[in-house]
Amino acid sequence: MNEPLIEVKDLRVEFDVRDGIVKAVDGLNLTIQRGKTLGVIGESGCGKSMTARAILNMIPKPGKITQGKIIYHRRMQNNGQSQLDDIVELTELDPDGKVIREIRGGEIGMIFQEPMSSLTPVYTAGIHINEAVSLHHLTPVRKVGDQIAEQVLAHRAVTKGEAREIAIEMLRRVGIPKPTQRVDSYPHQLSGGQRQRVMIAIALSCEPAMLIADEPTTALDVSIEAQILDIMRELQESVNMAILFITHNLGVIASMADEIVVMYMGKAVEQAKLVELFKNPKHPYTQALLRSIPQLGKKEKGQRLASISGMTPDPFNLPTGCVFHPRCPMFMPGKCDKIVPSWTKVDEEHWVSCLLYEEV
Amino acid sequence: MAVVEQAQPMTTPSAKQKQVGQSYWSLVWWKFKRNRTALIGGIILATFYLSFVFIPEFISPYALENTSEYAEASPTRLHFVDAEGNFHARPFVYGMEQKVDFVTRSRTYAEDTTRMYPIYFFVRGDPYKLLGLIPTDLHLYGVDQKSNPEAIVLLMGSDALGRDWFTRIMYGGRLSLTIGLIGQIMTIVFGTVLGVMSGFYGGAVDQVIQRSTEFLNAFPQIPLFMALAAAIPTFWSPLAVFFILSIILSFVGWGGLARQVRGLILSLREREYVLAAKSAGASDGRIMFRHLLPGTMSHVIVIATLAIPGMILAETALSWLGLGLRPPLTSWGVLLFDAATVRAIHNTPWELWTVPFIIVTVLAYNMLGDGLRDALDPYGSR
Repeated sequence: MNEPLIEVKDLRVEFDVRDGIVKAVDGLNLTIQRGKTLGVIGESGCGKSMTARAILNMIPKPGKITQGKIIYHRRMQNNGQSQLDDIVELTELDPDGKVIREIRGGEIGMIFQEPMSSLTPVYTAGIHINEAVSLHHLTPVRKVGDQIAEQVLAHRAVTKGEAREIAIEMLRRVGIPKPTQRVDSYPHQLSGGQRQRVMIAIALSCEPAMLIADEPTTALDVSIEAQILDIMRELQESVNMAILFITHNLGVIASMADEIVVMYMGKAVEQAKLVELFKNPKHPYTQALLRSIPQLGKKEKGQRLASISGMTPDPFNLPTGCVFHPRCPMFMPGKCDKIVPSWTKVDEEHWVSCLLYEEV
Repeated sequence: MAVVEQAQPMTTPSAKQKQVGQSYWSLVWWKFKRNRTALIGGIILATFYLSFVFIPEFISPYALENTSEYAEASPTRLHFVDAEGNFHARPFVYGMEQKVDFVTRSRTYAEDTTRMYPIYFFVRGDPYKLLGLIPTDLHLYGVDQKSNPEAIVLLMGSDALGRDWFTRIMYGGRLSLTIGLIGQIMTIVFGTVLGVMSGFYGGAVDQVIQRSTEFLNAFPQIPLFMALAAAIPTFWSPLAVFFILSIILSFVGWGGLARQVRGLILSLREREYVLAAKSAGASDGRIMFRHLLPGTMSHVIVIATLAIPGMILAETALSWLGLGLRPPLTSWGVLLFDAATVRAIHNTPWELWTVPFIIVTVLAYNMLGDGLRDALDPYGSR
């Protein structure tokens, strides 16, 4: 049933800055399955966002991908009938070339953390959606009430009237009230939640095979967050879209992901199915993260919320061996500070990178 | 009842609610028209451009090349009361008699009160083509030339060839005003395109563009103008000279604009919407010119408006130096060139009428630009 869509293999992203080289992503492996949600979780600066950017080949200067591959199993639509499979090595594409621009937005959409500034201030919501559609020459929306019919993918320019209808329909799908009026609203006239919905509408207007959501609800308040997550789940089901969901919020990821990767300092430290990870965390870092979730009713008087001791290490001066060892409660002297742990399978679909589970 | 009362304000949107739903440009206009100074500046410029650039043939009583025997005549006085003390509702002019002092060789004119010529609006005179299309011979004002061919009205005097100075100012405004506008449009095109590229790409592109603007700025301006203008071959047609001159003006002027646009782009390109556009598959050109450029437009418009007077003055200065436009073309600079001798100032001081037109134009542009600066930031606190 599982069918890989994106395979990240031994990815390394480095930033060559004045004080030295920072490894933003260091030997990361992950696989995103078609139609499934992969959650990536970790502290700020652990390389989550850079992984997402690397998939779209959009690493900002002075960073670059120095190692590894990102394989994209592309499915070409041929007259909406037969599907031609194609394997694309995303990291080898010209970052400004035609192929990657077709993939960006058209096949892999992305939404960002800051809905406040993610829309160009001089264009209305409708213009934004139409731009995405026209960039990929698609008329992607099924007519209202025709949800079962095969997706209409016409490779032709849309007329002005059609474009407006598409935009309105997309806004309706992401749950914006009064879409016929909102289609002419400028970003400053929309609330944060509405702007994020517009961003989702843009990303979904081309019915991408995958959506990268880079902390999509961090800037929103909790009730709006729940609505946005609902919309994403609904739309994922209706179009069989994979989601790479990046967040530092364990509560959010628990309601979204099928599988979770925990990252620490550019490395994956643990990967497991959602329930397995929450029930049976193996890596001390994951365990510490889960302990730091505030839980209603579980707190005893005078007890403080657990936090992870120590600070994230200096990226120019990473610890030897396991990068987590200076903060690890299970630190084994002579082992953890000498040996780099490897990616070990501890259970069915449960990998961890920790010397506790390795015979050394 | 309470429900009805609450519902009513919803159905009849107040002025404030209307304003919320308006586009950027309608907000700009709403703010601009409340600024009286800017509005006056805008109206003056609109009037000048309409009457000087589009229909000077209609506004002026004579054709540009129309010479007369009344050389160096002082401005004709308009009368309402004739020699006998009778009041006339229609203004009239007297016929003029020329006297030449053969010692000083200066001409003086005396009014011949026996000949009265009434001034009419929409009078028939020299034929021309309105807007270059419609053949007509209507003029805004003048004396009836059919019945009184010797009558003449010279509101601002005449030059050494007996041409109406007011007519010459009208036609001169056509070139002076358009050269400023065309030069500035070219400056905007050069300046924004190069500035956007410089800011967006950075690195080598930025270096090349910024070093060339510095190179241009390092030249002393007037000698640079003079060198470029002196390179125009004298045998070129006046029209070619006109276009080359506006290109020269913009060539010297684009650097400053390019720098400012670059600065704006440097801050705008870090905004998340650029990343969002890129992740939607937009190309560099699209990001630069569809997403980044509009963000600089309000700034560019203000800078450009405030820079147009500089262009007009530069044309005037160059032509006054004899390096810009030359006769038979008529521009305000050419007219000043005519008036810039001690003899002219002594004998024909009315030729300095050109100066107030230049001053008013420059002031009007400044008033307009100032108002635009306030209006184009409609969300600003002021």
